[in-house]
Amino acid sequence: MEPETNAPAHELVDHLFRNRAGQMVAYLTRLLGPEHLDTAEEVVQEAVLKALQTWPYSGTPENPAGWLFRVARNAAFDVLKHEKLVCQKSVELGVLVDGAGAPDLPGDPEFEEQLRDDELRMLLMCCHPAISRDARLALSLKTVGGFSTREIARAFLSEEAAILQRLVRAKRQIRIDGIGLELPRGEALAQRLDSALEAIYLMFNEGYATHSGTELIRKELCGEALRLAQLLADSSVSTPACHALVALLAFQAARLPARVDGRGELVLLEDQDRTLWNQALLAVGFLHMSLCAEGVEVSAFHLQAAIAALHASAEGDRQTDWVKMLDLYDQLMEISPSPVVALNRAVVVAKVKGAPEGLEELRRLADDRSLQNYYLLPATEASLLLQIGDKDGAARVFREALKRPCSEPEKRLLIQRLAQCELIAPCFY
Amino acid sequence: MPNYMLLLHGNPDAYLKLSPEEAQKALQKFLAWREKLRSQKILVGSARLKDDVGKVVRGAGKPRVTDGPYTETKEVLGGYFTIEAPDYDAAVALSGDCPHLEYGGTIEVREVVPVPGA
Repeated sequence: MEPETNAPAHELVDHLFRNRAGQMVAYLTRLLGPEHLDTAEEVVQEAVLKALQTWPYSGTPENPAGWLFRVARNAAFDVLKHEKLVCQKSVELGVLVDGAGAPDLPGDPEFEEQLRDDELRMLLMCCHPAISRDARLALSLKTVGGFSTREIARAFLSEEAAILQRLVRAKRQIRIDGIGLELPRGEALAQRLDSALEAIYLMFNEGYATHSGTELIRKELCGEALRLAQLLADSSVSTPACHALVALLAFQAARLPARVDGRGELVLLEDQDRTLWNQALLAVGFLHMSLCAEGVEVSAFHLQAAIAALHASAEGDRQTDWVKMLDLYDQLMEISPSPVVALNRAVVVAKVKGAPEGLEELRRLADDRSLQNYYLLPATEASLLLQIGDKDGAARVFREALKRPCSEPEKRLLIQRLAQCELIAPCFY
Repeated sequence: MPNYMLLLHGNPDAYLKLSPEEAQKALQKFLAWREKLRSQKILVGSARLKDDVGKVVRGAGKPRVTDGPYTETKEVLGGYFTIEAPDYDAAVALSGDCPHLEYGGTIEVREVVPVPGA
């Protein structure tokens, strides 16, 4: 029996199970080999289940993570024995199970270091270019993040079966191509890092976007993306772009508490109460902002982080350095042009040069097919029309925005802005 | 004060679909409930019962052993808590907010009969 601790016995570190589950899968996959990823996942789930069935009666063990690791490791050893997979792997594992080898105990600094390395390798394995883009995200969340298929499906507003299929395909790819946990070198490493950064960026956006999932699961997704970005940035393979991504995500995440008001309504950046921004996350952002400046590389993440930093360091919308912001957007359009970046740039053009110039920029995007269903294009246009006093035009374009897909809070915000136009210039139909 | 045994019956599969995060949330509810009993100093004992090796022995003289008592249904007796309570109703009330019930389980509440004179 585990001795029960005296300190608040029921307290567990936030996300302990989820984070440790990811680590255990990475750790066991190293011991068992990537071809046994499924086994690793199964025994980890078993260990979690066993904790849930045991601790209510026994209380929390002294070292909860140690308990989980031991149970998962023993279960893995049993699977190997049962499947008669007697090989070098099972011998190594046997030593650990017997306790004759290194302690491998969570909490031990050396072991924790090893676990971070395991997680890193696992993340880079999940982001192998041979695995499809969508699957990289899902696989990273599943194996490194400790999310369940159901949670991933909920976050992506997708069917659980579809996510499951994506995962199965990705794992098959890992087996077929013999993708392993070795760290690639040189150009291959750079590619793999890019792929991982992209996956983390998309993971964060999926969480940050107001169009999908429940508030809770989206927040968790943002938190996990930030954690993984930090894992990369603090690792031996870190690059300035890794720090830039951490900075960008930390700045964005810092604003989350101010983005929704007490009634659950969306608050635009310019109207946000900046005292609600998370100071600790802003500090993380500025720290990594300074770290990413090392070296000559200027990635798209650098520019996006610099844009976010400008917002973060301004006291308010009026105090924002819009001229510098425009320069950053110009650079971003050069190295990573996209219609969405152009749309955001148009807003900044309006701030610097005036609404008519902003509208001019938007007109160039009007025929862009990728923005045809993007409500922010007409919503932005309507806001600028309102600024130049064209209330009828603004009302018309806000109505156009309402026809495009958007979340309920976004819809309510549009309706509210539409009402503002009509309040001043009533239009009867 | 009399002792009561709270026998937790349930289907262990009820927890199978929980993600690690959900499992932790469920566990935290259990641990908070357990802590409540402990801090009131009414928790006498508790133990989990293994649910995969249950055997039933029957037949005096020539005992026959059959698989777990619950092979027909998926229900198993997962464990018990022994608590002190002033009366049966109080014991039932203390069971009432056990998270086990939230996850589809049932709790059998039985009074332990003290040995006379002990």
